[in-house]
Amino acid sequence: MDYVIQILGPLLEGTAVTLQVFLLTLVLAVPLGLGLALVRVSHFRLASRVVSAYIWLMRGTPLMLQMLFIYFALPFVPVIGIRLPDFPAAIVAFVLNYAAYFAEIFRSGIQSVGRGQYEASRVLGLTYGQTMRRIILPQVVKRILPPMSNETITLIKDTSLIYVLAMNDLLRAARGMVQRDFTTMPFVVAAAFYLIMTLVLTWGFLYLEKRYAVYED
Amino acid sequence: MQKRLSVIFAALAASLLLGACGKQESAPAQSAAPAAPAAVTKIVVGLDDNFPPMGFRDEKNNLVGFDIDLAREAAKRLGAEVEFKPIDWNAKEAELGGKRVDALWNGLTITEKRKEQIAFTTPYLENRQIIIVVATSPIKTKADLAGKVVGLQEGSSAVEAVEKDAVAKSIKTLKKFGDNIAALMDLTTGRLDALVVDEVVGRYYIAKKPNEYAVLDENFGTEEYGVGVRKDDTELLGKLQKAMDEMKKDGSAARISTQWFGKDIVK
Repeated sequence: MDYVIQILGPLLEGTAVTLQVFLLTLVLAVPLGLGLALVRVSHFRLASRVVSAYIWLMRGTPLMLQMLFIYFALPFVPVIGIRLPDFPAAIVAFVLNYAAYFAEIFRSGIQSVGRGQYEASRVLGLTYGQTMRRIILPQVVKRILPPMSNETITLIKDTSLIYVLAMNDLLRAARGMVQRDFTTMPFVVAAAFYLIMTLVLTWGFLYLEKRYAVYED
Repeated sequence: MQKRLSVIFAALAASLLLGACGKQESAPAQSAAPAAPAAVTKIVVGLDDNFPPMGFRDEKNNLVGFDIDLAREAAKRLGAEVEFKPIDWNAKEAELGGKRVDALWNGLTITEKRKEQIAFTTPYLENRQIIIVVATSPIKTKADLAGKVVGLQEGSSAVEAVEKDAVAKSIKTLKKFGDNIAALMDLTTGRLDALVVDEVVGRYYIAKKPNEYAVLDENFGTEEYGVGVRKDDTELLGKLQKAMDEMKKDGSAARISTQWFGKDIVK
């Protein structure tokens, strides 16, 4: 027990890194995903195709590879050639990757709303933008909560991938202690930390689902 | 995991090569310009921060270790600031080549293969590749490894040491782990018959669980640790070499060694 208390401090520092990556990714990737989804379902053929290709690229290659590419290979790419420090590199990779997944979730939500509602909106004299903002998207939010909850929980565990950039997130901090002290106890404590975080997320999304249930048709 | 990593790195290396080809003309000119005039004021040391006792994190999450102390002392003599940057050990060449770190100083074994990409100081520590088995193991000699599963750390010099040995062909499987502790655990579960590891690291772990493991009398050869820098960074190499020579001469290297290993094993 003394040992658990002793390792708690560094593990909490690791948790702070995990949460930073998680929150920043969420805050940046959700709006970007929504934007991508709106372009994807829009009538601009070319833009829609570009977004499709982007989503294919981002979902079609491992997140770890994207992170390594941004960190190690980007500095050598002609013209662009920027050398990002580890934290920004990780965030860029996570945001670009997760935006693609979020975009598909938003698209499924948008396309699940019946055509009749668009027609009704037009009859009422609403523009496309107004229809989206006032009629479609509020319903989308409710419908995509379960898949969003899924993806968000995946995100918090995916943050552990930043170990390839040697950033000390929760899992890597635990691994370091296992290596130093030759005991698996830190892994057990880390697992408990992850479970607590996912529990909070699960409850948060359940609460949101209940709140939005008032719009049930 | 490691296999996946190596696949990724192969892909990455390919893209790096592509990038490098396009930039061949401008790259050398760019790197030569800033390196030439100013004296060394800051050294970024890349290390695996999960590599006790050379470099690891203590209870307060501070970086400590034999190599850390050595590097601090050397930097002090150069009048330079030192920054320790944890890196993924499998990516050490990319970190050094990409100028994210200036030196690799973390129980880095001098090998012929590494010399192609890295410039080394003269050796400062001697290290053997020892063979660890469970205390009850029937394996007593190197020859007993025939038909057995042997583990080692991916990207470590143990890989080269074992592969060039005659015994290598008779070994059933050579299993490469992300870190030594995973290999040691696999040894305990019985999936692994023996582990080849740097002596300084192996002894550190064995000391934690005194009765569980045994070290064979035979080993996979003696190696030397050196500090690695970029090949074109001759200024830093020269200064580090001079500082280390001084530290060996005036006994401060011996003092740091005694602190970490209980005796002076600096070469």
